[in-house]
Amino acid sequence: MTRLGLARATVGRPWWLRFASRFDWPLFCTTVLIAGIGLLNLHSALSGTRHEALFARQVAWMLAGAIAFFAMTAIDYRFWERFAWFLLGGAIVAVALVYVAGVSVKGAQRWLGVAGVTVQPSELAKIAVIVALAQFAQEAEGGQLTRRQIAVRVAALAAPVGLIVAQPDLGSAVLVALIVLSVAYFTVSDLWRIHAVVIAGLAALPLLWERMETYQRNRVLCFLDPESDPTGLCWHTKQSIIAVGSGRILGEGYMNGTQNQFKFLPEHWTDFPFSVFAEEWGFVGGVVLLALFAFLILWIVNAALHARDRFGAVLCLGVAAMLFWHTAVNVAMVLGLAPVVGVTLPLVSYGGSSVMTVFLGLGLVSSVSARRHGF
Amino acid sequence: MLIRSAPGAAPVMPQLRRRLRWLVAVALGTFAILVGRLWQLQVLRGERYHEGVIEKVVNTRYLPSVRGKILDTLGRPLVDNRPAFNIYMTPASAVGPVVDRLAGLLDLDDDERRQVVDRLAAARRRDPNRAVLVLEDQSRDRAALVEQSKFELPGVSVVDEPYRRYLYGDLAAHALGYMNHPTAEELAELGPRGYDADEFIGRYGLEREWEHYLRGKKGIERYVADATGARVDDEESAALIRGPKFEPPVPGNNIVTTIDLDLQQIAERAVRWHAAAAVVVLDVHTGRVRAIVSKPSFDPNVMTGHLTQAQMQQMLADPRKPFVDKVLRQHYPPGSTFKPVTLIAALEDGVIAPGEVRECKGRIVRGHRTFRCPGGHAHGKITVVEALEHSCNVFVWELAEVVGIDRLAEVARDLGFGQPTGIGLNGDVAGRIPTRAWYEARGGFKIGYTLNTATGQGDVAVTVMQLAQAYAAIANGGALYAPQIVERIEDAEGRVVARYEPTLRRRIHASPQTIEQLHRGMWAVVNAEGGTAHDAASAIIEFAGKTGTAQVRGRRRRRKDGDAQPRKGWDPTRDHAWFAGWAPARDPAIAIAVLVEHGGHGGEAAAPIAREIFEGYAALVRERGGRP
Repeated sequence: MTRLGLARATVGRPWWLRFASRFDWPLFCTTVLIAGIGLLNLHSALSGTRHEALFARQVAWMLAGAIAFFAMTAIDYRFWERFAWFLLGGAIVAVALVYVAGVSVKGAQRWLGVAGVTVQPSELAKIAVIVALAQFAQEAEGGQLTRRQIAVRVAALAAPVGLIVAQPDLGSAVLVALIVLSVAYFTVSDLWRIHAVVIAGLAALPLLWERMETYQRNRVLCFLDPESDPTGLCWHTKQSIIAVGSGRILGEGYMNGTQNQFKFLPEHWTDFPFSVFAEEWGFVGGVVLLALFAFLILWIVNAALHARDRFGAVLCLGVAAMLFWHTAVNVAMVLGLAPVVGVTLPLVSYGGSSVMTVFLGLGLVSSVSARRHGF
Repeated sequence: MLIRSAPGAAPVMPQLRRRLRWLVAVALGTFAILVGRLWQLQVLRGERYHEGVIEKVVNTRYLPSVRGKILDTLGRPLVDNRPAFNIYMTPASAVGPVVDRLAGLLDLDDDERRQVVDRLAAARRRDPNRAVLVLEDQSRDRAALVEQSKFELPGVSVVDEPYRRYLYGDLAAHALGYMNHPTAEELAELGPRGYDADEFIGRYGLEREWEHYLRGKKGIERYVADATGARVDDEESAALIRGPKFEPPVPGNNIVTTIDLDLQQIAERAVRWHAAAAVVVLDVHTGRVRAIVSKPSFDPNVMTGHLTQAQMQQMLADPRKPFVDKVLRQHYPPGSTFKPVTLIAALEDGVIAPGEVRECKGRIVRGHRTFRCPGGHAHGKITVVEALEHSCNVFVWELAEVVGIDRLAEVARDLGFGQPTGIGLNGDVAGRIPTRAWYEARGGFKIGYTLNTATGQGDVAVTVMQLAQAYAAIANGGALYAPQIVERIEDAEGRVVARYEPTLRRRIHASPQTIEQLHRGMWAVVNAEGGTAHDAASAIIEFAGKTGTAQVRGRRRRRKDGDAQPRKGWDPTRDHAWFAGWAPARDPAIAIAVLVEHGGHGGEAAAPIAREIFEGYAALVRERGGRP
């Protein structure tokens, strides 16, 4: 059912040549670079722990993600327009299902078991939210949505956020909210409304505080006042800072980051992979990885500017916002500039749902990018 | 119909381009901040982090308090503490290789190793800077090995902690109790009260009931450690510690019990031939427990901390129920030991006078049933005293018919049956004293129930402690004391914190003449030629009492052949054997209740146990320079 929106200039050439000439190579190559670094780093992070088997699973997820990326590229992104509501509804249902049939991991119900793999709906929900955002922006372009319709759409976007907050999955909830707000910043003409939403969100923080588990509160408290409790609540952050610091300019060297006990933190490969990376590759490595992320994000913003329609532009902006916030919050957390919330570093953190989400998002961008030239 | 941008037009409005620039600037600014922070951590402070001297952490260690001892009435310890070597690890310092090294050094087996890893993992989630107990009660050799290899084992320490020691093994185990680690559910409740998974909590008997007094208060030590877990002592680090650096532990209080260790050992020895029995010895004038035995027992030393699931299952599956306190928690039909209740009722109501003669023909017929004396034996013309001596049923039945079941219940309750004794240990049970109303609520009352109750069969149920309490009251002339097992509480320095006086519950409603009749009858039971316990009479000390044989319900067949030789076998079809009484017979000092589960006849199985204990008591008194 896809419409191949191909430029006339390419008609009559073999399909692979057409593909190669339209394909967004910089996007793909940067992605592959980051994913490669991620795998390399994960291998080091897992070595010597009881979880070395996770590496193979991550590789499998990466491969599945790459396939998803190409599939998304091949499908005309406009195909998703008509499914925006359906996707968003599905996401809300999936997030809600977690309450009913969720798998508890470490006391938080965030996972769903599907066909033998556990997925984290709050991760995949981000893609649905981005598609829905793009679709609503497209609808709103002519400015003929009634107030009521707007209200319905805002509520539909707020629903998954609320549900995720209640899980409680602070990190994912804040991220989805940030993505929505970032995109709204581009697409809503009068900014005061957004500011109103931001203020309302800040006002709701006490409610969030109520929903938080003790350990999460402690993390925030220890971030606000690192001296508040030196007996170990801030331990993750402290150990992380020690690890990063020990890296110095050139790093301890690959697989040598065992100087501190941070390697033996439970599951540091999900939330703190950057810490391992910065320790082993030093300031130079850290800056290179951050630069790759920055390039990828700006490149996607660039793709948004060249998109052929508003729907595609907003899709790209949404994905850019997702990657930006994930990276910024995760690295800030590792460097002790943000409280410890469960936010992954795209393609570097271990986690199937996270990897899949990023690849799906990048696949959307690739699809927009490949069809950027006019009719 | 979707609205699309016009072909060729820029899809994004110029206004949005401005905003986009803003946002790109914000994004790049954010990355710049992150790079700046990396610079600060890795370039400016990198060397210091690398040397691991910058980050210090405050570690907390709890110092165990010494649990109070449990002493006998003369201050001899029954339960005290011994040193035990516990190996602790601080999760933050216990990196992978350390566990491997420790396992290699101590040659840990798979289970031990798994335990270490699991406990570390659990503790890491709680507080990585708090040492957790990974191996408890290790041998001196192992402790020395760890101590010698200290430098290869960062974060591992050996702590010498007091462990509970039950000096006499299973002696009085049900009364003393045992200790154990709190479960996860309990911790949720107890945590705020300062309990910790590594600690012990009293599980049974006095250990549980008096936990609060015995426990004391943990001390706390806070110290600063660097990234490697080594202690740092300098001004700068000391400033990190909030709150007190050191709080010494407060030792628990000692409990002085009323138990007399010598008499307890005599009582424990006296039941050696029997598979399951219960004995309690009370001081007649105070109600103080001098000896308390429930057999089979368990060894609290084994129960404390080391019991495997399999051992536990085996003990729970034992039909003789080693975990049940047979003195306080189990009730049984009292058999003929209950007859004094009927006699008190009849004498008090004037149904029969002292010395008045009734005839026993060996049987009475009521309704469709014939009730017999044992073996249909006709006792002929007898008085109250002789009825007790021969344990005549017909005599008692005829009196019971006149006074009625509710009057029997009234007297029984007066003697303390049918209600907890008030000892405050192991939740002692009430037992059961049926009334007319009780039967009517269960399908109607028949005269047979009165007869059954009068001879302590049927639905009457009493505990060994209740029986001892009632006989002590009869022995001392009618003062019913609540049994008492804790004499006083002393702090670690020996200062008395609390002293407990005997509790007189009430005077029983029985005139001196009535009591005298019982005394004479029970003297005859043991000391007259025809008494049911005459075979157990002692040449050393004259004692009095009453035998009982309680029919076991639901038996496949009755065994009437009371073996002369007490058997070691366990035959759940045999009757329970009872003896309750006091000594010396004419100047009561101690009262006793003995139950031999499925022991057969009271005169043959239970009375000899009482004799042995009384004779032991007499020897004790002489030893201590008194006259029994």
